[in-house]
Amino acid sequence: MANDKIRIKKLYTLSSENRKFSFSLPLKHKIKIGKREYEVKLKADEKYGTYILWKNRKYPVEIIRSSQNKYEILFNDISYTFTVETPFSLQRMKVLNSNRGKIEQEIIKAPMPGKIIDVLVREGTTVLRGEPVVILEAMKMQNEIISPVNGMVVKVMAKPNTNVMKDDILVEIKL
Amino acid sequence: MMKIKRILIANRGEIAVRIMKTAHLMKIETVVVKTAIEPYAMYLTGADVIFDNSEDNSEIPVFLNIEKLIAIALETKANAIHPGYGFLAENAYFAQKCIDNDLIFIGPSPDAIYKMGNKTIARKIALASGIPMAMGSEGNIANEEEAAVIAEKIGYPVIIKAASGGGGRGMRIVRKADEMEKMFIIASKEAEKAFNDPSVFVEKYIDNPKHIEFQILGDSKGNVIHLGERECSIQRKHQKLLEEAPSCALDEKLRKKMGDMAVQIAKAVDYSSAGTVEFLLDTDKNFYFMEMNTRIQVEHPVTEIITGLDLIEQQIRIANGEELRYKQNDIKLKGWAIECRINAEDVQAGFSPDPGKIENFNMPSDPCVRVDTGVQTGSSIVASYDSMIAKLIVRGKDRKDAIKNCKMALDKVWIKGTKTTLPFFRMLVRHQKFQDGTFTTSFIEKDLEKYYFNSDYEEMLAAWLSTKLFVEENLNDDSINVNFEHGKTMSPWLLNKRINQF
Repeated sequence: MANDKIRIKKLYTLSSENRKFSFSLPLKHKIKIGKREYEVKLKADEKYGTYILWKNRKYPVEIIRSSQNKYEILFNDISYTFTVETPFSLQRMKVLNSNRGKIEQEIIKAPMPGKIIDVLVREGTTVLRGEPVVILEAMKMQNEIISPVNGMVVKVMAKPNTNVMKDDILVEIKL
Repeated sequence: MMKIKRILIANRGEIAVRIMKTAHLMKIETVVVKTAIEPYAMYLTGADVIFDNSEDNSEIPVFLNIEKLIAIALETKANAIHPGYGFLAENAYFAQKCIDNDLIFIGPSPDAIYKMGNKTIARKIALASGIPMAMGSEGNIANEEEAAVIAEKIGYPVIIKAASGGGGRGMRIVRKADEMEKMFIIASKEAEKAFNDPSVFVEKYIDNPKHIEFQILGDSKGNVIHLGERECSIQRKHQKLLEEAPSCALDEKLRKKMGDMAVQIAKAVDYSSAGTVEFLLDTDKNFYFMEMNTRIQVEHPVTEIITGLDLIEQQIRIANGEELRYKQNDIKLKGWAIECRINAEDVQAGFSPDPGKIENFNMPSDPCVRVDTGVQTGSSIVASYDSMIAKLIVRGKDRKDAIKNCKMALDKVWIKGTKTTLPFFRMLVRHQKFQDGTFTTSFIEKDLEKYYFNSDYEEMLAAWLSTKLFVEENLNDDSINVNFEHGKTMSPWLLNKRINQF
């Protein structure tokens, strides 16, 4: 990734309560409220330590934690946690989240290439976690492919005596 | 004539500083004790004698070690001991030990401490003096069956309290008969653990009361007066957070009635010192005696502000054998005072203690503000003691004015290094129920959705700062190219240093 240099115009900063703030790059030391822009200054001195000066008022700031793109900031005695995302990482996160959204569906895939010996379930069958659904022969060994979840089989793609590639979908289970 | 020449302050923190201040004004010398836990504490500066006890490896803190404190007083030639609050302040045995060693104990007699310290005895005295009390058991109760019988008689909800208790420990509210057995056992066990005495008693639980307490002063000649009330209803788990004087719930008539009762109960134990009689006030303005505290209270400054008296000075004069210089009619309450207890606590994490080193400490210096503290820049709030950083005491010509000044002062307080209760107070002074005075002791538990105040701008500015840090760490000089190789975990110290270089 080191040489992946991409022009970024905007950063999105998300609070732990899912509020989204966006900032254009290069980052300005100004924040717009309504039609007016106000100057933000980050300063530090002996008496006050680090502070933000905004609208003629000083606010104490401390950085509690920082790791990768995650920041915990103490601002005026209240702590906030933010993650800073680029348009790309935000997009990626959205995709990941939308996949996570379909979590009521579990897809069982072939863990390795091989031959289907037997299919132990039909559409409409209820399965319990740990129950075998397919027998897959690979490297001269019969492997039980087990369901990782409790649910009902909604789709069976695997057919006996056919060959499958790694990651081919075998069975879909609705939670 | 002042017999008291040198006072051993058997305490630490802000109250040690507070006692020292008055002693200096009265030209009395002070002795303080240096401990290994806080060898650089602020209360050590300004004393005439520092007794270095930092080599003491005993598990008991010196401020709880009666023999040791007496020995220190004798060795440093102090002829009086002020216990402050907490620690041994309400220990009758300690008061007696002082007397036995010809040391003046700046507080009431051991007898008064003992009688008021034992809640069942205190109840009996109050009952005999005709003080209104919540109905309850006459003495301690032996078991949950007996408790259930009494609860049936007076009606649920009831509260089980530790006989030797205080500070909210060993207390359990029982709302239904089937909870009694469990709650009785919990309360009794908690009481045994906290006070070395499992005895408990039962009384009627007053729902949604206000906590009203009266400051009293009694001398050794039998004179007792009251200095008006304080309202301490803003509390969480029976721990007070904000106190004010006077209370908007009282009018002159009720003040006189309650004040007279407070004086009466103090007289019943020949009380001679500063003390506090606590009452619960229900929504129909019925009041009930709760307990008497036989010490100087944390919240004493609000009374000092509205009466103009120095309560530590009064304690010292009374202990010196002097007669009170004031009659009840001399006491005039003037203006309004509010005290915020700024503690090292994380309001966002349910007020959990947040000890640490105070990196910056700036308090407002406006004429309407008084600050009592034992902390300065560089001080540590240690886990072994309470979480108090400072008391912000604000005055006003009336309640509205005091709240306005308090709001202003809260914005000027600047503490870095630990999280504090400041955001809670900033919320409180803006809350309708606080402003109109209708809050009760259940305010924090029942009426609040959010324990702190922040404006939307503040969150946005914090977001801007996070973004700025991200840019500094991850983007190259031209500011628009991302280099994901950087920006790994970095110590907050390094980050702060980096910010300082901006």
